[in-house]
Amino acid sequence: MSRGSNAGFDRHITIFSPEGRLYQVEYAFKAISQSGLTSVGVRGADSVVVVTQKKVPDKLLDSSTVTNMFHLTPRIGCVMTGHNADSRSQVHRARVEAGEWKYKFGYDITADVLCRRLADISQVYTQNAEMRPLGCCMILVAIDPQFGPVLYKCDPAGYYCGFRATAVGAKQTEANSYLEKKLKKKPELSHDRAVQLAISCLSSVLSLDFKPTELEVGVVTKDKPKFRTLTEAEVEVHLVAIAERE
Amino acid sequence: MLGEAEPQWLSEEVKTGTTIIAIQFNGGVVLGSDSRVSAGESVVNRVMNKLSPLHDKIYCALSGSAADAQTIAEMVNYQLDVHSMEIGEDPQVRSAATLVKNISYKYKEELSAHLIVAGWDRKEGGQVFATLKGLLTRQPFAVGGSGSSYVYGFVDAEYRKGMGKKECQQFVINTLSLAMNRDGSSGGVAYLVTIDEHGTEENVILGNDLPTFFDQ
Repeated sequence: MSRGSNAGFDRHITIFSPEGRLYQVEYAFKAISQSGLTSVGVRGADSVVVVTQKKVPDKLLDSSTVTNMFHLTPRIGCVMTGHNADSRSQVHRARVEAGEWKYKFGYDITADVLCRRLADISQVYTQNAEMRPLGCCMILVAIDPQFGPVLYKCDPAGYYCGFRATAVGAKQTEANSYLEKKLKKKPELSHDRAVQLAISCLSSVLSLDFKPTELEVGVVTKDKPKFRTLTEAEVEVHLVAIAERE
Repeated sequence: MLGEAEPQWLSEEVKTGTTIIAIQFNGGVVLGSDSRVSAGESVVNRVMNKLSPLHDKIYCALSGSAADAQTIAEMVNYQLDVHSMEIGEDPQVRSAATLVKNISYKYKEELSAHLIVAGWDRKEGGQVFATLKGLLTRQPFAVGGSGSSYVYGFVDAEYRKGMGKKECQQFVINTLSLAMNRDGSSGGVAYLVTIDEHGTEENVILGNDLPTFFDQ
């Protein structure tokens, strides 16, 4: 009854397979791991942190022009994991959506609303035959005026959710288990502890001792609610603190 | 009385009558405006701030039709918000002025507003741009609005290059005060915005604190 009517197209465009799966969406998730990078986000008591690897594969590349951290509004930042070009497209769309919201409604968009908007856009791609889903995943961070520190993630399936901590990318399963273990007792994380937890998570699942040039760290804190990326010197301070604790 | 016509202010367009001025000094700009909004002969708002922010260090002064001017300012504010995110730094004053100019020119038949754009950026320091009727020109200072006609002589005679911040602020206050005294569509209080490398400062000078001249 349900066999054969798709003629094999269910793997090529976003229509349902006989088992009820959307193969293109699943392939989009695989595309995220293709980049080989992993990113981690951790929400603390009064800050939110996102960390990602900075891999500069080519010796001729100018590493100061390579980044996966982006400002969406002065107060909302994000880290993108996956296909580079798709990431930039989604970031641009997010910036325009945030700007439009402020223009139309007269106040700054909040991270959860922006995340929902991007997830809704991603969902459209899972229903349209002529467009493919984007092969990237966005983790948004902000200090929400009502709810304080927030961490949101939206993926190619159009699913979005708020998290206490999350990981995306090649090693996301291992990273998520690490974070689950560390956050099981629901500790109150200070800003420094949150940064160090995120960095240790990456170190542990990738079995790498990071140098400050191999990491990008983005933070928002209650005292300084504007999203910013840490300088190499600041990252070094945290790396030293982690090493001393071990 | 039979057949009484409706009051003028119901049918007259809301204009910002206005005197606006912007001056560049060494290290920044000072913008000033009066605060009267009139509809015909009725004062609809006597304390309107006509200095509208386009970005942290770029402001514009509104004149002409109140709605047209506000709308242009809000549109450019939105465009600059997205633009500054995309370039990753504060936008140039020139960019803001160009955005205003493009809207003013494209819709020049439908709109009736004149915005003076002034601000500070890292590349060129303090700058003042006039965007009347869709032209774009950088000037050391610019005046606009109905009240400006009464003070062209004053500003032309009294402006000197290389004025400091306090001198500029006083110059702006004097100009506004003179214009508000003579122009029926300008009045109320004087609003001042001073923008330089260190930040943006907003001030109000209330009616009785304004400088007085020969007739008082």
